[in-house]
Amino acid sequence: MKKPKITGDCIEIPSVEDFLPDVDDFIEGKLEAYGLNKSDIADIAISVTELVTNGIVHANKLIPEKTVKVVISKKNSAVEIAITDQGDGFDPDAIDNPIEDENLLKEVGRGVFIVKSLMDRVVFDSKPGKGTTVTMTKHF
Amino acid sequence: MKLSDSEKDGIAILEPKGKIMGGPDATLLHDKLHELIESGKKKVVIDLSKVEWMNSTGLGILISSLTTLRNSQGELKLANVTDKIQSLLTITKLVTVFEAFDSIDDAVKSF
Repeated sequence: MKKPKITGDCIEIPSVEDFLPDVDDFIEGKLEAYGLNKSDIADIAISVTELVTNGIVHANKLIPEKTVKVVISKKNSAVEIAITDQGDGFDPDAIDNPIEDENLLKEVGRGVFIVKSLMDRVVFDSKPGKGTTVTMTKHF
Repeated sequence: MKLSDSEKDGIAILEPKGKIMGGPDATLLHDKLHELIESGKKKVVIDLSKVEWMNSTGLGILISSLTTLRNSQGELKLANVTDKIQSLLTITKLVTVFEAFDSIDDAVKSF
């Protein structure tokens, strides 16, 4: 895959950071159509770009042949988004706490913490060799 | 993200616009900052009034800018932090790291 592929409620991109704005445009377009307010749209867009970046950089290690897939759906007054990479899997509990004093000036390591703060529910499904799917929900 | 820059009373002012989410955004801001340092401008204000939102990549860029400037005996201040970014700075405790002001004038006067 050399460029983003959109199918209904799904966008799949090669592991290239330049395609992040394509994911954001797709997700924000869906959220606007669902009728969410600007603040909720920003919270979700921030969270999606965090996790897609993690998928591209840390999981798929910027290998363009590997993809990150984002699927969005609306259930009553909740939005659910699932983000799947093709990496080696990871343990979300093994991440350093970014708000500890010794980590405050680190340039990286805040993404998952921010997602957990902005979204109502975040579930990690990670299996060695089978990639990671993060499913997150926000009520509106 | 788009980036414009200006100067007031000898202080460099950077004005990013749009969303800061990573990829080319990080390079643009990082390169501009190093360009300023190399030209001797080490007191910088980043005006965030036109930044819709940023993610942790954006926060990382701000931290990188702060430490790069401090290592060059310079300083970075923030101006016009929007509610959404203020909320992120609070969640991540980075409010304790950055000096933020309600206007560019106030930020410039603080040096």
